[in-house]
Amino acid sequence: MHLETFELHQPTHLEDALAVASSHPGEFDYLAGGTDLLPNYKMRLNPRAHLIALGGIPELHTFAPADGTFGALATLRQLETEEAVARDYPGLVEAARQVATPLVRASATVGGNLLVETRCFFFNQSPSWREALGYCLKAEGDRCHVVPQKERCYATFSGDLAPSLVVSGAQVDLLSPEGTRTLPLEELYDGRGDGIHRTTLLPGEILVRVRLPREARGRPSTYRKLRVRPAFDFPELGVAASLALEGRRVRSLRLAVGGLETRPRSFASLTDPLEGENLTDERIADLARRVQAAVRPVHNTFLAPDYRKRMTEVFVRRALTDLKEAS
Amino acid sequence: MAKSASEPGGPTAEVRSNPASTGGYRLIGRRLPLVDAALKVTGRAEYTDDLKRPGLLVGRLLKSTQAHARIVEVEVSAARALPGVAAVLTGERFPTPFGVLPMTHDETALAVEKVRHYGEWVAAVAAQDEETCEEAFRRIRVRYEPLPVYDDPEAGQRPVAEKIHARALRDTNIQKEVFQHFGDVPRAFREAYAEVKVQGRFAGVNHGFTEPHCVLAEATPDGRLTVWSATQVPHYLHRALSEVLGLPLHRIRVIKPEVGGGFGGKSDPFPHEIACAALALETGRAVKLLLDREDVFYVNHGRHPTRNTVRLAANEAGEFTALDVEALLDGGAFSSFGVVTTYYNGVLALGPYRLPAFRYHGVRAYTNHPPSGAMRAHGGTNIRYSLEMAVDALAERLGRDPLALRLQNLLSANTQTVNEFRITSNGARDCLTAVRERSRWRERFRQLPFGEGIGVACGFYISGSNSPIHFTPRFPQCTVHLKVDMDGGVTIHCGAADIGQGSKTLLAQVVAEVLGIRMDRTRVAAVDSDTAPVDLGSYSSRVTFMMGNAAKRAAEELREILSRSAGEILGHPPEEMSFEDERIHREGSPEVGVDFLTAVHRAMEHRGALVASGSYESQPMGGTFKGAKAGTAPAYSFSAYVSHVKVDLETGFVDVKKVWAAFDCGRALNPLAVEGQIEGSIHMGLGQLLSESMDYRGARLMNPSLLEYKILAPQQMPEVECLLVGGEDPEGPFGAKEAGEGPLIPVLPSVGAAIHDALGIRFLDLPITPEKIFRALERSRRDGGAKKPPLPRETTES
Repeated sequence: MHLETFELHQPTHLEDALAVASSHPGEFDYLAGGTDLLPNYKMRLNPRAHLIALGGIPELHTFAPADGTFGALATLRQLETEEAVARDYPGLVEAARQVATPLVRASATVGGNLLVETRCFFFNQSPSWREALGYCLKAEGDRCHVVPQKERCYATFSGDLAPSLVVSGAQVDLLSPEGTRTLPLEELYDGRGDGIHRTTLLPGEILVRVRLPREARGRPSTYRKLRVRPAFDFPELGVAASLALEGRRVRSLRLAVGGLETRPRSFASLTDPLEGENLTDERIADLARRVQAAVRPVHNTFLAPDYRKRMTEVFVRRALTDLKEAS
Repeated sequence: MAKSASEPGGPTAEVRSNPASTGGYRLIGRRLPLVDAALKVTGRAEYTDDLKRPGLLVGRLLKSTQAHARIVEVEVSAARALPGVAAVLTGERFPTPFGVLPMTHDETALAVEKVRHYGEWVAAVAAQDEETCEEAFRRIRVRYEPLPVYDDPEAGQRPVAEKIHARALRDTNIQKEVFQHFGDVPRAFREAYAEVKVQGRFAGVNHGFTEPHCVLAEATPDGRLTVWSATQVPHYLHRALSEVLGLPLHRIRVIKPEVGGGFGGKSDPFPHEIACAALALETGRAVKLLLDREDVFYVNHGRHPTRNTVRLAANEAGEFTALDVEALLDGGAFSSFGVVTTYYNGVLALGPYRLPAFRYHGVRAYTNHPPSGAMRAHGGTNIRYSLEMAVDALAERLGRDPLALRLQNLLSANTQTVNEFRITSNGARDCLTAVRERSRWRERFRQLPFGEGIGVACGFYISGSNSPIHFTPRFPQCTVHLKVDMDGGVTIHCGAADIGQGSKTLLAQVVAEVLGIRMDRTRVAAVDSDTAPVDLGSYSSRVTFMMGNAAKRAAEELREILSRSAGEILGHPPEEMSFEDERIHREGSPEVGVDFLTAVHRAMEHRGALVASGSYESQPMGGTFKGAKAGTAPAYSFSAYVSHVKVDLETGFVDVKKVWAAFDCGRALNPLAVEGQIEGSIHMGLGQLLSESMDYRGARLMNPSLLEYKILAPQQMPEVECLLVGGEDPEGPFGAKEAGEGPLIPVLPSVGAAIHDALGIRFLDLPITPEKIFRALERSRRDGGAKKPPLPRETTES
């Protein structure tokens, strides 16, 4: 399979990238590591006529674990090989190490993983496969084959880093022609709540960097990933957790999941009430059951949704039990 | 063009052997790296897609978007008119049907009149580049008239509104139906002390080879057609090209470059090979056609989705008295090897156990799935899984240790099965005792903690089909030519396809052994039909046995010639000559000798190049009943594996910790290569057992990609302890038998049995995904909880 012809732009300044973008509204994609975008282009999944490669922009390559700052183009390999990251943000490294394969991680980036395209059995297929089925909402069609209707796309958010960064309280710096703004990472995904309009990015807006707050540094955290194989596969469920105890009482507990719905989710309303409480096995089990009850996977990935839901309880419970025992 | 000769031994270290440890041989029985290993690991080996020709065009095939439909019209004029397009073909141009078995030709280069599965090819384009091919496809209009879609072989046994093929039986979609009965099965069951019934269900699996199919075809102004293809059987391709394209064999040249894995998936002649050759003829140029992975899944010819029922009876002493098998195979859209597969799914149950009565009913039905065909351990894995599960269930019923029960029921050496398979060498007993000891079976079976288990299973497999697919049945099954020129290099011409399994290495090893020369003095010219004699291909685990014997005989003929020359020089009779260390000397007097090259030059005087030839032809065997030849072989490999697993009781994930793999391949000619086959087989077998599945919704394949078709990741490989326990086979070359397919068979049931030992639940629906285990554990918890089955008294006592 080959890529269709596109025009490649290689700006060396953020402003130039924005300028190229604004001259081709709706007809471009930003290119980071390309490990997800280019395979999708080969499958003719919404290819654009213009690709704006961001690799030539130095400030996107920032890699400053000591400040908790990672440029959008920091690679997953950098994350998983830098000792300071492993020490300060163990859950983030666990997540990075479980993405795809070492070869992919050498190119794949932090920004790319946060903005990775949502996935679905009926979308991630070749042109002739989709033609035979009649296409779908997310590309060239007008209906969803997962939940038959014509309004909402159920494609699944399949990034591994987002849940880990969310539990660390990450913020993202964004740049658009309107200026700079900073959002809690979680709000990046407050789009229109479906698999197509899945972020709050403005047209042409660039994710510049991720910043982790000082208090997240060194806080015990972990990431558990459900998938058929311990390599290659996207998450069928990803559970990130961070836990700080004071004595036996919870000082801070955060939980986020990915791979289940169209966006990563956290569960502040379930975890906040536990602050100051003694984190007993019963409380952990109860929390895990509540998270399981809250999530709504659909049948558009390899493993069946009910199993993924049931595993949510197991993975949450195991993640928290491990963190508690390690503290 | 591909260099078809390689340089065996170039960078390979030739360690001096201790002849005592290898039966007196210098090269046979040694752990030798494959002769092409250095080329492959450095990226220098040439595969079909690496080849270039002047003016090379790109070929592409248009996939059907219907599962079953009449083709009303394929409008191609707009595509033909596109600049850069050299040719557009549709099915009518070369409509002659072909197929791997002479009696079931039902495939065509491109769909004719109707399409029978999603992804079947309806048009072929040759153009200046891939983009132009795609643009041409956009300009092709195919009008289909949809037909009823059949995705269930069960339904295919009943009358259907629209038969997938006119040649299907009666008014059904049945392609082949087999009935066999030996002894008195109903009576044996009436009189049985114990009987068990197991119903297995197996998803279809694909070979998953690394290199997608690729073919390059070139028509030249001298009226010849040359086809380079990633094929396991150049000879069948040669035949099919000749028949479909209407060219005499001698005007077609078939070359097999390096092949990146076959596993049975490159053993049929394929539509894309014919279509590419047709494009070359149409354009008078060279055309290369590389399939993408989705195409590989659609052309498939992989393992049949299967349902089977196995009933096994025993007397009070624990002796098996009868086996009753039913199998239903989803053949997909075409016949391929289906007739053979249908037989194999019954008769390959007839070893390594004594079974005095056997009944089999097998059906293969066409469906609108991609065609099924032959895959490594063809016809042997699914019936084996159900049979071994039945043996375990029977052991449980009888309160017996399953390993001991197997030992009790083994066939002996030099015997015959109820359906008249001739068994000669048989290492099954050694295999079972080896894994029993190495795995510390008696301490572990039923005694590991809940969730952890150990299981045993046996296997056997043909070492070369005795009645191969043969167009000229009086020809030998394999011929090898040797040619020696003044440089003293021995060129080995052979039609056997090295598909990564190491047949080139074997040729070099055998010839160098017989002639007492270094392997790097040999060069293997395989495969170019212009120079290679016929070999029937790399399938049915026939190459070591048949090609090995042919090569040995050719080398022995050459040795006779050189013995005479050396004898003349030395003034001693030729029968006293001994060949070793690149010298020919008088037996017992190494100082009275000449070097190899001197003898070669003497032999060449007044006659030019030395040539010699050897061939292999197996003896007639098998009974006279219908289907008696299916499964006959000049030898059989035997095996027994013990596997150790640990199951995550909350998620259902299986961790296969270790496999003890005892295998009787006779004398292992190259233990390193045999161990590679065992390890690779375990990886492949575990894939089918645990996660691989052609996942259909109706006729639609949901996972035609290597991301969603779940071949095991390297981290999932267990530790493997290979135990090569065989003796010598009386007819195999240097006593050798096959090791390419048999090693796959026991891994599935041994792990299935280990899961049963871990959980007390026998899983009969493959793949055994984590979800299925999770569900089963949940059900058993509701029913009072899963637990270990009881420990048979015999386990600790025997």
